[in-house]
Amino acid sequence: MLQIADVLNSSPLVFPVLECFHIAGFIVAIGTTAAADFRLLDWGFRRQTPAQLSKDVSPWMLGGLLVAIFSGLALYSSDPDMYYLNWSFLIKMACLVIALVFNYTIHRRVAQGVAQSVAQSAAPSEAPPVSAKIVAGVSLVLWASIIFGGIFIAFINPGL
Amino acid sequence: MLLSAAVWLQATDLFTYIRLQSYVYAAILSLHLVAISVFGGLIVLTDLRLLGWAMRGRPIADVIDQSRRLKWIGFVCAVTCGFLLFGSKAEEYYYNAFFRAKVTMFLLVGVHALIFRPIVYNRAAELDLAPQIPARAKLAAALSLLLWTGIMIMGRGIGYIDVPFGLHAGFGETLAAIANQV
Repeated sequence: MLQIADVLNSSPLVFPVLECFHIAGFIVAIGTTAAADFRLLDWGFRRQTPAQLSKDVSPWMLGGLLVAIFSGLALYSSDPDMYYLNWSFLIKMACLVIALVFNYTIHRRVAQGVAQSVAQSAAPSEAPPVSAKIVAGVSLVLWASIIFGGIFIAFINPGL
Repeated sequence: MLLSAAVWLQATDLFTYIRLQSYVYAAILSLHLVAISVFGGLIVLTDLRLLGWAMRGRPIADVIDQSRRLKWIGFVCAVTCGFLLFGSKAEEYYYNAFFRAKVTMFLLVGVHALIFRPIVYNRAAELDLAPQIPARAKLAAALSLLLWTGIMIMGRGIGYIDVPFGLHAGFGETLAAIANQV
């Protein structure tokens, strides 16, 4: 870890370049998840079932997530003390853990469950139930709150 | 003239307020990135489909047609937030080489749309009938990904220049400024 931190602080361009990977990663991850959420909210992609769409985007979601997390770890390691004492960072991490657990448990199950009910009615364009819309809304809010948490790290006074 | 317009713009009540309230500024910046995530994610999805790398089981027409409206909503939100951020520091942005590069790339996105919308994006059904994804569609997707990635990088770069350091700041000078500041 120390060696990684040394590399990070050795050149002024490493941090901004890592940030760009971080941003690109979360754009792909959150954008593709948002597409699946919009399907659950019945705001678009009606020609696919929610299960089809979430299956289509899940590899890209995971790929973007991994890029964002590993670049994020590297960014964190450049100045761990500052991040650890930054309440916005701590909230962001809490939201991230909740979002990840939510995404791979409730969110996934609901997308599959909606698919089954849709398959029974044999109408891909059918609107998902209200419970699925709530799950999609929670998912969108969680991912958005991680972005807010990340941006505010740079805007708050350090210290708890 | 552009410079005096920028100075006037940032002196208005709204933009002065945003500039002075750093949490309001941060909230707008966050919304800017949320909108970009939605908009950018859908662009990536569309371009990956055109390249044949994602959603291969779905018709190209489905991906393009169904994401178009959501993309527009995301784009309008991102541009609105972006304008609020720009306006609050318009004079600084005027000198910012990354901002200039970003605006230039937006113009190139416009050129990209003029060229490829009639022959690719508006003819998605034709693309689906072709035995293979036509080269022009893959070219459009690759250029789109390149341009938007460039815009993202330039957008991040803007924040690394705090102080205007003279007219017509070049990239060499800009990189030197980053080296001094980081």
